[in-house]
Amino acid sequence: MSINDLPVLSALRTKMQWHQERQRVLSENVSNSDTPQFRPRDLVEPKLDKAGAVTGSMGPLALTRTSGSHISPSGAASAFDQNKNAGFETRPAGNAVNLEEEMLKSASNQMDYAAATSLYSKSLHLLKTAIGKG
Amino acid sequence: MANDSSDFARSMAIATSGLRAQAGRMRVISENIANADSTSQTAGGNPYRRKVPTFSSALDRTLDAQVVTLGKIKPDQSNFRVKYEPNNPAADGSGNVKYPNVNSVVEMTDMRDAQRSYEANLNIISATRRMIQRTLDILKS
Repeated sequence: MSINDLPVLSALRTKMQWHQERQRVLSENVSNSDTPQFRPRDLVEPKLDKAGAVTGSMGPLALTRTSGSHISPSGAASAFDQNKNAGFETRPAGNAVNLEEEMLKSASNQMDYAAATSLYSKSLHLLKTAIGKG
Repeated sequence: MANDSSDFARSMAIATSGLRAQAGRMRVISENIANADSTSQTAGGNPYRRKVPTFSSALDRTLDAQVVTLGKIKPDQSNFRVKYEPNNPAADGSGNVKYPNVNSVVEMTDMRDAQRSYEANLNIISATRRMIQRTLDILKS
């Protein structure tokens, strides 16, 4: 059993990957804050079971529609949170990005990521103590 | 950038595309403001026409992400301002001079908007950089 198979570490790693991916989605929203017909997106949170394995959907964000004539992706769409109840306003050009909301999300994403990395290094420190090198 | 670049690098590249688009928008706005009083060189001719930047969202295949690009810069089709100045060399037969359809108030609000969007993109870059720093801190501990 390698160190990376420990439930705590693998759960934290999944969380960190999720925060990385979310940061990418948020930066897409912010950079497209003036693009007509653009709708902001967000990621649904990963659901972890007690062993630290992912149970909910957290697929990669590979498929994106770039033209209206494309067949809509079937699998990836469920990984997005469409943010239906957040009460955002849509501008006349069809753009629904709310910069303040995106900044707030980005800040909380960053803080949660910092918490996950601290926990990760604390867990590593614990391991070092256990093998007598702390 | 390679296809296997990390999500952080992709976040930075997306935010950079936003910075570039907003900088291009600023360029168009400054062009409009600078030419707010440019009349035609010939008598009765059309003056400078206000330009409007457009944005479009495009899929960057190397990044595999939606980046923003500055689309075509389109002319504003609204009417020119007309002033009665018979002594102006650009005046037509009845003494009217056409001035550009640039409204400085509109340009100023546009400029503030571009500035805000630029700052938002910068914030995303610094947030991403702090996250990368946290990752590197794991190695140090």
